[in-house]
Amino acid sequence: MAKNKTTRDLVSKLHVQHAQDERNDSTDTGSFPVVRRKPNLRANGKLTRLMTSILIVVLCALLGFGYAIQLNNKSSTYETMSEEELTRLISETSTQVQNLQQRKAELTGQLNSLKAAANKQQEAERIAKENEETSGILSGRLPATGKGVVITISEGSKDRIDASTMFQLLEELRNAGVEVMELNDVRIITSSYVFDTKTGLDCDGTKIHAPYTLKAIGDPQNLQNAVNIAGGVGSRLKVKFGAQVNVTPSDSVDISQTRDVGQYKYAKTVE
Amino acid sequence: MAAVLGLIIGVIIGIFVKPDIPIMLQPYLPIMVVAALDALLGAARSYFERSFSDKVFVISFISNVLTATLLVLLGNQLGVGSQLQTAVIVVLGIRIFSNVSAIRRFIFKG
Repeated sequence: MAKNKTTRDLVSKLHVQHAQDERNDSTDTGSFPVVRRKPNLRANGKLTRLMTSILIVVLCALLGFGYAIQLNNKSSTYETMSEEELTRLISETSTQVQNLQQRKAELTGQLNSLKAAANKQQEAERIAKENEETSGILSGRLPATGKGVVITISEGSKDRIDASTMFQLLEELRNAGVEVMELNDVRIITSSYVFDTKTGLDCDGTKIHAPYTLKAIGDPQNLQNAVNIAGGVGSRLKVKFGAQVNVTPSDSVDISQTRDVGQYKYAKTVE
Repeated sequence: MAAVLGLIIGVIIGIFVKPDIPIMLQPYLPIMVVAALDALLGAARSYFERSFSDKVFVISFISNVLTATLLVLLGNQLGVGSQLQTAVIVVLGIRIFSNVSAIRRFIFKG
């Protein structure tokens, strides 16, 4: 009995399941009517079948053709646009053009200012370099070479050469336009000094003795004249001190002695 | 089988030929393609439902394309071309989705 009952239950369960499946498998979407095939009225001839499949091929080929054309047709076609669309497009484009022009003007201005700044900086660098060279030679930081004279002065036979005469010689050369000077391996600069000691002279803290060698870069003719002029410092050296003075013009006087730049303690540049 | 063959042939021809479409036809071509796609999917669904008919497919294909084109043409003449185009696309899209869902149910039923 119990067995029978379970069988009947199983059958009814299967029925219920089947009905449920039928409902679940329904393919009606409800949105649109489904066109069912009409019952075949006449026998399907082979020719008709061939014709319809050719027709299907042609139609699908048309569909694929249209699809491919539309894919390739990437260039936007202004001909198909309506007037409002074209107006909107043109106003958008002109706004964009204006924006771009404004941006271009800004960037051009920036570029110009940058260029001007770069030029100015270059000019400043050039001037600074020039100044550095000039002042380097003037202040004795850099070695120098050029036309000039070499003056040798032997020890005076009558008297020791004193500092004031030596200073006068230096000043005469300066008046004659000397650019760089060196006295017995001491570079003479604007702040150089000479004074007498018991045994000789002291130039910028270095003791120097006769014979003195004075190298000077400048116009050789002018320098020669400055020393040898009648009644000048050359004749004074010869007459008063009995010294031998030789002035040798040279095309390349090398002055290799340099001086470190001293730190200025009190003087400051005016800003 | 014939439909797939036709599609492949059409795409290949379209890729290699690249003809100039007349300007008059240009706004209608996309709509035509979508309408034809809808007809094709409807045919696929009826094929799965075992109620496929060649005649019905051919007629629905042509009538779909013609209806969509005429509707858009009418819209262009009335000045609501783009709106009507959108409407046609939406309706065809809904149909395509429902057809695809029916086909999916057939395929995944087992």
